[in-house]
Amino acid sequence: MKRWFFSAIVLLLPQAVQAEISYDQLAQFSLTPKILEGSFNQEKYIATLDTTLISTGVFTYRRDKSIRWEILEPIHNQLLMTPSAISSKAENRELMRLDANSNPVAQVISEIFFAVLTADWEKLAPHFELSGTVEGLLWHAVLLPLDPAVAQIFSRVELKGQTLLEKIVLHEKSGDRTTIHLVNQR
Amino acid sequence: MKGGYITLKSAALGWLVIVAVTIGLALRQGPAFDSSILSLLPESAQQPLVQAAIEQMSNGFSQRLILVVAGANEQKLRAAVAGMAEYLAKLPDIAQVYWQVDEADVARMRDQLYPYRFSVIDVGVRELLLAGSYQQLSDRALARLYGPLSSMGISLVEDPFGLYYESTVNRSNTLNLEVEKSLLKIVDTEIPAYLLMLTLDGDPFSPGLQERVLSAITAQQGERSAAIDSIAMSGLLVHAAAGARQAKNEISTIGVGSLIGIVIIMLLVFRRFKPLLLLMFPVAVGCSFATAMLLLIFDKLHLVTFAFGAGLVGVSIDYALHFLCARRVSSASQVLRKILPGLLLGLFSSVIAYAAMALTPFPGLRQMAAFSVFGLCASWLTVVLWFPQLTRADKQQPLGVDAKLDKLRRRFPKLDSRPLLWLFLLLPLGLACLAIRGGESQDDIRLLQTSPASLLQQERSLHKTLGISSSSRFLLVSADLLEQCLQIEEQLVSHLEELKDEALIGGYQALSSSLPSQRRQAENYELVRQLYERQLDPFFSLLKVSPTIPVEALAVFNHSAQRRLSPAVWRQQIVGEASQGLVVTHAESATVATVLQLTGELDSSAGARLNTLANTMSGVSYIDQVRNLSDLLGEYRTQVSAWLVFAYLVVLLVLLWRYKIQVWRIVIPPLLASVLTLAILLQFEPGINLFHLLALILVLGIGLDMGIFLAETEEASHTWLAVSLSAITSLLAFGLLALSDTPVLHHFGITVAIGLSLVWLMAPLMRQH
Repeated sequence: MKRWFFSAIVLLLPQAVQAEISYDQLAQFSLTPKILEGSFNQEKYIATLDTTLISTGVFTYRRDKSIRWEILEPIHNQLLMTPSAISSKAENRELMRLDANSNPVAQVISEIFFAVLTADWEKLAPHFELSGTVEGLLWHAVLLPLDPAVAQIFSRVELKGQTLLEKIVLHEKSGDRTTIHLVNQR
Repeated sequence: MKGGYITLKSAALGWLVIVAVTIGLALRQGPAFDSSILSLLPESAQQPLVQAAIEQMSNGFSQRLILVVAGANEQKLRAAVAGMAEYLAKLPDIAQVYWQVDEADVARMRDQLYPYRFSVIDVGVRELLLAGSYQQLSDRALARLYGPLSSMGISLVEDPFGLYYESTVNRSNTLNLEVEKSLLKIVDTEIPAYLLMLTLDGDPFSPGLQERVLSAITAQQGERSAAIDSIAMSGLLVHAAAGARQAKNEISTIGVGSLIGIVIIMLLVFRRFKPLLLLMFPVAVGCSFATAMLLLIFDKLHLVTFAFGAGLVGVSIDYALHFLCARRVSSASQVLRKILPGLLLGLFSSVIAYAAMALTPFPGLRQMAAFSVFGLCASWLTVVLWFPQLTRADKQQPLGVDAKLDKLRRRFPKLDSRPLLWLFLLLPLGLACLAIRGGESQDDIRLLQTSPASLLQQERSLHKTLGISSSSRFLLVSADLLEQCLQIEEQLVSHLEELKDEALIGGYQALSSSLPSQRRQAENYELVRQLYERQLDPFFSLLKVSPTIPVEALAVFNHSAQRRLSPAVWRQQIVGEASQGLVVTHAESATVATVLQLTGELDSSAGARLNTLANTMSGVSYIDQVRNLSDLLGEYRTQVSAWLVFAYLVVLLVLLWRYKIQVWRIVIPPLLASVLTLAILLQFEPGINLFHLLALILVLGIGLDMGIFLAETEEASHTWLAVSLSAITSLLAFGLLALSDTPVLHHFGITVAIGLSLVWLMAPLMRQH
């Protein structure tokens, strides 16, 4: 059943492709404002447990400076990412902190997440091979990692949006999958 | 007389046999040279384990060549780095090229370490557990699960709190490197730069290997110049090559210059080639014989001994010149009889002066004493026994030059007839003594460096950008068992964290971070058990997963209760293989030691703190090779200066017995010249160092010979010629070294230049007749 579904998708694919896109085109379609705020809801599928963990909250980003990711439900946690560090706080107590320059893993993660969330195509270009479609104002980008270090973590990244990025799906090598919807952006 | 002649002939033959046999025996044994600075330390100060550690560290360093390849275009550069690495790896002189991180290795490393996640835990995690902050670890795990970032493949059953992840993510990366698409990229550089680390397969001092490796790198850079903007290099090979290049350069300028100078002067004076060859001959025999004897006695000859010993044996040119000049005014059968007392006394005083060095506790000076005594005696015997044979057919004909030189000498005022001159000598002496009293000394390690400043600067900046730890400064932890070392290290590390917080050290690399002691591992496992007992149930109930999951997680944990990372297993692992150099074993003392590497500038206050720290903990010592070397130079300098004073006293006593009150004529020129030279040197050098003093030994030797030969021949003009020639040839041979860029040679040379000139100028003032 599953296999059949998969081949059907493959067969349908040529019609679905409206226009192959490039990073340059995406840069024209999408907008990355200097400051953006909004809410998110996230579903993280944990493969080993076959469970989906759902969380909601609010976020703020300042281009090239920081992303504040505040989970409100079911736990209270605040993640602050800057190009140089990632820190996690719960009830004003620092849970952990990773400095990018002393920590290569943290650097890769934060660099990519930063670029994904702000749809910074220029920064994504060296790390991923791009494919996808544009249909009117709607674009859908699929990113496949080029860098083996990134491929160790992510197998595929999907981004969808109109002028602003609306949906992110991070497919991990382990089978875990994180789907993030960004709503009420302003 | 005929009888005497035959005896001399058989003695000459006997001497030939002795020289030949000694050199033959030494050759059969095989020449062995030692260049380790450590073997110059006084014997009591040598600790075998420390020495083994230092050797192990420096061997690793000496075989390593680091290349940092930079280029503006990242993609082209990466291709060039890969191409270059593959090319270099094929060279027979290069054992290994480390330039990329294989994904398979990363996976293998994970598989190796993952089983030990409950007993080898992150330092930060351990602190939280010790502080009882179990909640925080649970909160961290929850934040990871609900956060947007990757959960890094953490299995909730095998490792719900992500202890393995914590241990990898925080594993301190001591080098400023990141793995960019498998290649080793340097962090925070203006233009992209990648690292290649070569391990040499051979001696970095071998000129052939230097040439092949360096030219291969240059050729590669040229071939890929479109991609590569620059290559910065660090490693002993680069310094050794620079030293060799400089030596070659100086041999072809200073060396050839002094040789031409000597040849011209000898030809001008003797108008023949033969005396020139005769002159070199005793020095050559002396050095070869001394080398052979030392090899037979000590098994190994230190290169420093050889270099300076050969310099001191250079004094023996006096004997040859004295003989050759005297031979021109006396017959073959008469000459030796005339000059033998002078030669004998000259040898005797020099040997006594040099042999006194053997009384110092320093192996370097002892070897040097033995070398110069053997060398001088051999040269002397060569002159006395072989020269009569070799010059038998030479004509007896006064040289024209001695009359002219004698005239020049007569223009000098005589101290005897002009007592006021004493003032001219004593006043500068007083001033010089004052200058020396207030003068500084210099025992800086930079004295021993032969590399140009630009190269040292490049090395320093490369080490800084890469964050390479120092191979010359480290902490050594020694005990009977490795487990004990690790336990001591674990205590030590908490103190090092304090130093790190105070920014005294940049960081450290300890074996116990990757291989904790068995005791520590058992403690860790117990701490994790507390975490499981308190947090496992609340954690999983928040996640609302099937109730079987926490049971499974606990079962996995309990199953690993006895699992510990043992040194034997660690050695087989990737991490262990790479850190093998941190363990030092010494078979004889049946002890083991571990090395704690340090990074950062490590200034003197850091050094002092590390020293205090080492002194308060048993089994810990702080090794600072830079400091040790400076101390060593300082101690040698003190020893040599004390010994110089002693040597003057002994010589004075010996000569007093023969010359009575007239002894001042012989001793004052070298003594006064030495004092004045030191004072002059202090005016433009930062301080007096060991090599200045070693040069003064040569000044003493030549100065004494000058005085003795003149006194013994009643200041004959041919003797004045001989001693003048000897001063001039020594000036050319050693004094010209003042022009060298190698600090050791420069200091030696400039001292000889000033000292000998002063001796020669003062000698005529002392004349009696």
